[in-house]
Amino acid sequence: MITRVVEGWVEEPLKRFVDDARVVLALMLHPSGQVMAQHGFARAMDVMSACALAAAIHASASELGRQLDGKPFSGIHQAGKDRQLFLAEAETAQGSYIFVTVFDAESSLGLVRLYFEELRAGLASAAPALEESSEPILAEHFESELNRNLAALFGRA
Amino acid sequence: MTGPRTPTPFGSLLDTLTRQRGVKAGMVVSESDGIIIDSNMQIGVHGDRVAALAASLYRKARMSATAAGLGTATFFQLEAERGRLCAAGRNDLVVVVVTEAQANVGLIRMELLRAAEGFA
Amino acid sequence: MADDITRWSDELARDPANLVFLMLGEALRKQNQLGVAHRVAVKGLERHPHHADAHDLLARILVDLGDFDQAFDEWDMTLRLAPGHVGALKGMGFVRFKQGRLPEAEEYLRRASGDATMPDVGASQALRTVRQSGAFVAPVPAPVPVPEEEPATLFARVLTGAGQTALLMDASGLVMAGSYLLADGSDVASEVGAALSGVSDEADRATRHLNLGEWTAILVETEAAVIAMAPAAEDGLLLLAASRATPLGLLKRLLGRCRDTAREWMEGRPS
Repeated sequence: MITRVVEGWVEEPLKRFVDDARVVLALMLHPSGQVMAQHGFARAMDVMSACALAAAIHASASELGRQLDGKPFSGIHQAGKDRQLFLAEAETAQGSYIFVTVFDAESSLGLVRLYFEELRAGLASAAPALEESSEPILAEHFESELNRNLAALFGRA
Repeated sequence: MTGPRTPTPFGSLLDTLTRQRGVKAGMVVSESDGIIIDSNMQIGVHGDRVAALAASLYRKARMSATAAGLGTATFFQLEAERGRLCAAGRNDLVVVVVTEAQANVGLIRMELLRAAEGFA
Repeated sequence: MADDITRWSDELARDPANLVFLMLGEALRKQNQLGVAHRVAVKGLERHPHHADAHDLLARILVDLGDFDQAFDEWDMTLRLAPGHVGALKGMGFVRFKQGRLPEAEEYLRRASGDATMPDVGASQALRTVRQSGAFVAPVPAPVPVPEEEPATLFARVLTGAGQTALLMDASGLVMAGSYLLADGSDVASEVGAALSGVSDEADRATRHLNLGEWTAILVETEAAVIAMAPAAEDGLLLLAASRATPLGLLKRLLGRCRDTAREWMEGRPS
């Protein structure tokens, strides 16, 4: 499986996470749904769907956490019969990112949580400072940004 | 060891294990999740880290032994330059012990096997 | 002596980690109860694997049992743990003398004799015996070419017990040497090797993240067997399996011998 990233600073921490935690799929995205990096996906369409769903789950869970606990939940774990999903947020100088990963019996929730903490630290130290000229992503730019990122990940639009 | 413990089903087992000379941590871990169920550790031991890695190692050894036709694994030990990990388990519960390199493994092994019997 | 044996046995029963096994084993050896003495020594070594005198004790018992090669290995281990151990040097000299390797016997006994300030009388007498044996020839004999080992039987000379088998695998999990024979004679080395080789990857990861240093051995007891693994040269893996009756301490010692054999074999192979 190949790990692909939109921005170079993400690559090393993500690859290390995938190698150590031995997960099946990994996806890092901006809370708006823009993809930043992926591992294990074969088709751009799957990444697009996963990003949209992950962003929605994250938004819903954060709101649920705020209502129930006064603050967003720090992570979500969903266990299926053969595969499990873990979703959490990573804070960097570039802003917050959503990280979602799917793993099977080759890994475990304990390992994923353990290595996610290392990923979070790795991303925080690797992220360059945010340039002041960076403009917020506007809704009308979202689709073109998403397509640009998918093209970067898969080599085509 | 850390301060007073709230009584748990595994408290006395962990107390027995961690009383052995050279033992730095004892824990009961979920084999499939690699998450601590109960533990008794010296300060400085990264319990979550040990639990995740030791459970994974034990599971791999158990499954590999079965795949090789050697039957169910009953005891596992990893020796390294600066310490040992010992584990025994049953029914998705693994009891894990972290020791110094020179600890008396014979006694620890007997205690672990006895503990795992209790998970039946 | 009988009273001592009873007393030491009781002490050992109360506290199995007690070093009194050293005296008990020696007393039993002197009474020619070699089987019991051997068990006491092996059990003691399981608990005190780095105790030089425990290896020395086992070596003396093995010599009495006529197993010179294993006795020599034990004394070799004693020397590694306690360089200059006089008992080990004398023992190794004795074994080499019995094997007719007189120059080596003389060298060990010369080292055991000590210097003028602290001579060891027993070793000095033994040294004189060797020198007077008439067979001593000073020049070192020309090296005898070592016959090339068949990879499948590489560990045969190390593994002596029934049901013991060893495999050497390369970094990709492929069998390089050794065999794994079932009762019907079929060799399932590749299958067993492939199934177990993944454990070493897990061990690498665990020791790296737990800051334990390099891993040196893995022991797994199963319903059917006991298995030991050790890292081998060039990222390879050595795997040893034996019957469940094999004590873990003995298994580790066999693993050490297999590792030495594998290393010598790897060093002798064309790259």
